[in-house]
Amino acid sequence: MLRHHDFELAGRVPEPDGEGFAGGSACGDRVRITLALGADGTIAAARFGAAACAHATAAAAWACRRSQGRAFLDAARASLADCAEELGLTGNARDCAAVALDALHAALGDAAERALALPPEHGRVAVAMSGGVDSAVALLRERAGSGDVVGLTLRLWIDEQAPDAERACCSPGAILRARESCHALGLPHVTLDGREAFRRAVVEPFVAGYARGETPNPCTTCNGSYRLAALVAVAERLGAQHVATGHYARLVERDGRTLVGRGADAAKDQSYMLARVPRDVLERLRLPLGDATKAAVRAEAAAAGLSAATARESQDVCFLGGGALDDFLAREGVQQHAGSIRDEAGHELGRHAGTAAYTPGQRRGLGVAAPTKLYVLRADAARNELVVGPRSSLACSEVLLSDTRSEDGVTRVHAKLRGRSPTVSASVERVPGGLRLRLDEPVYGVAAGQTAALYDGDGCVVGSGVIALAESLS
Amino acid sequence: MRIYADHAATTPVSDEAWAAMQPFLREHFGNASEPHWAGREARRGLEAARAQAADALGVSAADVVFTGGASEADNIAVLGRATRGPGRIVTTPLEHPAVSGAVEELERRGCEVVTLPVDADGRVPVGALETAVQPGDLVCTLIWASNLTGVIQPVAEAAAICAERGVPLHLDAVQACPALEVDIGSLPGEITAAVAAHKLGGPKGAGLLCGRGLATLQPVLFGGGQERALRPGTESVAQAAGLGAALAAARADQGRYGRYRAVRDAYEAALSADVPGVTIAGERAERTPGHSLALIEGLNGHALVSLLDEQGVAAAAGPACASAESSASPALTAMGVTADQARGALRLSFGALSEGAHGLLAAGAVVRCAELLRRASAVV
Repeated sequence: MLRHHDFELAGRVPEPDGEGFAGGSACGDRVRITLALGADGTIAAARFGAAACAHATAAAAWACRRSQGRAFLDAARASLADCAEELGLTGNARDCAAVALDALHAALGDAAERALALPPEHGRVAVAMSGGVDSAVALLRERAGSGDVVGLTLRLWIDEQAPDAERACCSPGAILRARESCHALGLPHVTLDGREAFRRAVVEPFVAGYARGETPNPCTTCNGSYRLAALVAVAERLGAQHVATGHYARLVERDGRTLVGRGADAAKDQSYMLARVPRDVLERLRLPLGDATKAAVRAEAAAAGLSAATARESQDVCFLGGGALDDFLAREGVQQHAGSIRDEAGHELGRHAGTAAYTPGQRRGLGVAAPTKLYVLRADAARNELVVGPRSSLACSEVLLSDTRSEDGVTRVHAKLRGRSPTVSASVERVPGGLRLRLDEPVYGVAAGQTAALYDGDGCVVGSGVIALAESLS
Repeated sequence: MRIYADHAATTPVSDEAWAAMQPFLREHFGNASEPHWAGREARRGLEAARAQAADALGVSAADVVFTGGASEADNIAVLGRATRGPGRIVTTPLEHPAVSGAVEELERRGCEVVTLPVDADGRVPVGALETAVQPGDLVCTLIWASNLTGVIQPVAEAAAICAERGVPLHLDAVQACPALEVDIGSLPGEITAAVAAHKLGGPKGAGLLCGRGLATLQPVLFGGGQERALRPGTESVAQAAGLGAALAAARADQGRYGRYRAVRDAYEAALSADVPGVTIAGERAERTPGHSLALIEGLNGHALVSLLDEQGVAAAAGPACASAESSASPALTAMGVTADQARGALRLSFGALSEGAHGLLAAGAVVRCAELLRRASAVV
């Protein structure tokens, strides 16, 4: 298995262009790989450090031998399957080798983010891979096009305390599925470590929003302020001018500008998720599933024999990892305290265990007995109070949006004020610091912090904002 | 260079055992349970083997049951104590999986399992046995010599305690048997002991369960009633003959153990002098003569074994890397060895194939391989 000559590449590249570490789980194996890039982006040198079993150590040596002298994207085709086959590893031994491959791909990802600058290649597309079925089919479709495709996976979050870490979108299993989907097709795959940036751009604002008593939408924030822009930046370093994702939404060209439009599968439409994406990023985006239905996508994945075909659907906020919001907030240092539940007149009706568990419009779980059905109207963070009232008090006809993006001359829109709510017709008025929406009919349960997506009559997103304040005029 | 230093895993069939087996493979092929001439020839061979084994182990021939190996013997001895419902079992963290697996199965079936502590030298304290074993316990199990460290356990004391309280004692004597004077008959009480042929120059797939404790053991295998109905199935006379001859040869030549010890001691002295961070597990305790478990700081035993193999040295890693789900061996954990130390476990066991220089040569190979591994682990 392990041989003396495997240690010819043991060591560390001085001032590496890419560095990756993997391991530290129960078995204790640890592997570090460092890379130096040549002027043309080839891997000039690769070295490994290992405190690991024979399989993982031999795999680390294999990873370095295979990488040296190869073009970057060719190095990014290094697969666990090839490694296991060449070294004759099966079963547990193959899992040990996975640690070394993880270290290699972390090093390649690090180099892609920090040092690589491949010349632009016409037709090259980077496909954002989550490990799920949608992005796997997006990959298939892009491959059928230009064929010059590279998979990208952004590792956003690892929370070992989450109750079901595998349900999180960037669990180790999901990243391996994404990588293997690419490698099985002979395509390169690059794993990027976005954990710190994601925490700053998405998780911290999310936690702060809840601490203020808002109901933030981390997914639209992530797409709009972090993830897609980060992917576009790395794609450019890989020589790809475009990034494809597996969203069920379309891109519509209008007057020389790119807008997000509804996907063909109304039940799966994810245009809302992309409502906050800035225009310069949209221009670099491709959405190959815009015309597809979920059923067709599953069938396509199954026909292609992709392991992701049967992967579980991730619907939750990825970093909650299948757990409860208040547990997550507690882990993030937001302490929830018991407080009063009051009606609009200020009478105490009951007690809550912390306001984060409640969102405006919620009826269940209040634990308050009352002659009429009571709904959460708002959380008063300063007083740690939850204000409840009858459904009529939820009615909201005017909504203020901050942090807005909108096309010129937008006056009438269909506003979507929450991910899974229908749209409501509204008039748009510019006000200092944002937009005011006058809703044609009242909406019940508008939550501050949520994203508002403003659609035109053709189902294209022509504006968006963050709901700042819901004023009831009833 | 080829050095075989894994005698604790298995040994080649000795000349004596090989010669003893031959007649029963083709010439005297009969079924030992048949009354005709062919059966009688086989039966004579089987009983001669039984007498040889009984003599070597100090038990009466009636108290020897041939099995298909020691794992089978261990299972029969442990499971056969709990056929009439659950009860209490006293065991140790040092047991071979053939015993600990059977005990875990009984735990799943409702038995209460008490696991004894182990001191830093890898020995079960007699005081702990005194406290733990209680009248009415189904069985107490004790490995005679640890397969990991070679440390010899207080078997005589355990037998006295169990006998006094009327508790059957099962001894896994697999590592002890090739290395020690094992006089099972001299131990008081309801003793059973398991022996494997292939650790002492006999064939694989042959073992025995012996001791006067067989009398109260209930069967867990069912068939034609052979071997006191504890191990039914047509008797494998050739295997039994190989085991009997191997035991007799070991008994006749106890002098060889001094040679194993000299090789082992030379290896350990060179290793401790030339490799930094070496601890010999159980060094201060009495150990089987050929056995050495080194814990080498900062190294991975599995990787070391792989590199040693390239150098022609056959050795064994500790159990830490055997599977992803177990972080370290229960035996080493009980001795206070950390998971990090356990990862650096390297077991060499010298025996029949060891020559005088093997200790120093093996240590030299470990030194060279350890240097390579340290080059890689220094930059991780």
